[in-house]
Amino acid sequence: MSDKLVIGIADMKMARGEGMLVTYALGSCIGICLHDPALKLGALVHIMLPLNMEAGRKNPMKYGDTGIRETLKQMEAKGASRSRITAKIAGGAKMFEVGSNSLGNIGQRNIESVHMNLKKEGIRLLKEDVGGGVARTLLFDVNSGLACIRSYGRKELII
Amino acid sequence: MAIKNYDELTSMELDTLREIGSMGTGNAATALSQMLGREVRITLPEVRIMGYNEAIEWIGGPEEITAGVLVKMGGQINGIMLSCQQLEFVNLVLDSVLQQHIEDYSQLAELENSCLIEVGNIMISTFINALSGLAGMDVTLTVPAFTVDMQGAILAVPMAEYGGQSDYIMTIGGNFVCDNKQVPCRLLMSPDLRSLNALLRKLGVSDE
Repeated sequence: MSDKLVIGIADMKMARGEGMLVTYALGSCIGICLHDPALKLGALVHIMLPLNMEAGRKNPMKYGDTGIRETLKQMEAKGASRSRITAKIAGGAKMFEVGSNSLGNIGQRNIESVHMNLKKEGIRLLKEDVGGGVARTLLFDVNSGLACIRSYGRKELII
Repeated sequence: MAIKNYDELTSMELDTLREIGSMGTGNAATALSQMLGREVRITLPEVRIMGYNEAIEWIGGPEEITAGVLVKMGGQINGIMLSCQQLEFVNLVLDSVLQQHIEDYSQLAELENSCLIEVGNIMISTFINALSGLAGMDVTLTVPAFTVDMQGAILAVPMAEYGGQSDYIMTIGGNFVCDNKQVPCRLLMSPDLRSLNALLRKLGVSDE
């Protein structure tokens, strides 16, 4: 695929028709692929934290709740219909096992937040590859709606 | 004045942090040198305040596989300390301690892993000891955690931990030079904002 768009942390990009959206090394972060198959419109958001509690709200794409909401809004502005949009997610791993501390729970909290917010927005979650202890690179083909997940020491996974 | 964001640090405060980095990394280098039985020096220590994606480019790209040792700081300073050990460093340690050499990370077994964890842990502890001695602050450390994975995801751990406070990550740390060759092993300390303010106040550079 020629046009590959790279999505950084707390970032979102969209493509229509043809195109590959890529986000690298998702640890506890989650990559959310949103897809309207009729328009072949796809968006990939890379969120880092579950809930937006910032007063200024400078960067909505950093958080599960505002990230999903804002992306859906932008997709709808391009003509997507909420009833057709489906989601696939990957990430939410626990990179380090640190004692009894709360550290490392962020992955799990991100998964819960994304599930909850997709449900709240009425978006169907088709497939997911979440949790565990491995980092994931997520590639999302907006034409087919297929997502490919690359991890270290694990076979490539297509969802 | 207590800062609310990393970019509010004055040049004097940055200098102080650089000095902490220099002292901490210097002590860690001495410890490393004793463990390896080789001369180890440090490069110029750095204090960096970076956006998330900038930080990942700086450490050498998101997908590069690296070994990471992580320790969480508690007590009077909260934060995360990371030792990112790239393959060259791993081989330096394994060669000196176990007389072994690996081609890639998949060859690491239990013994090699514990060797890397221990080396990382000792360097981190020496760094923190020097810091807590200088500032007169009590710092507790957790048992080290270890993983081998994409370094983007490893670096995202301190980012996510303090992501609610800031869009930036601050790291204090440096690289090592062994046998006149730069060895990529980054020792990074990321304190939370409250602890950073407390630390600067203790050291007397934060004007209240």
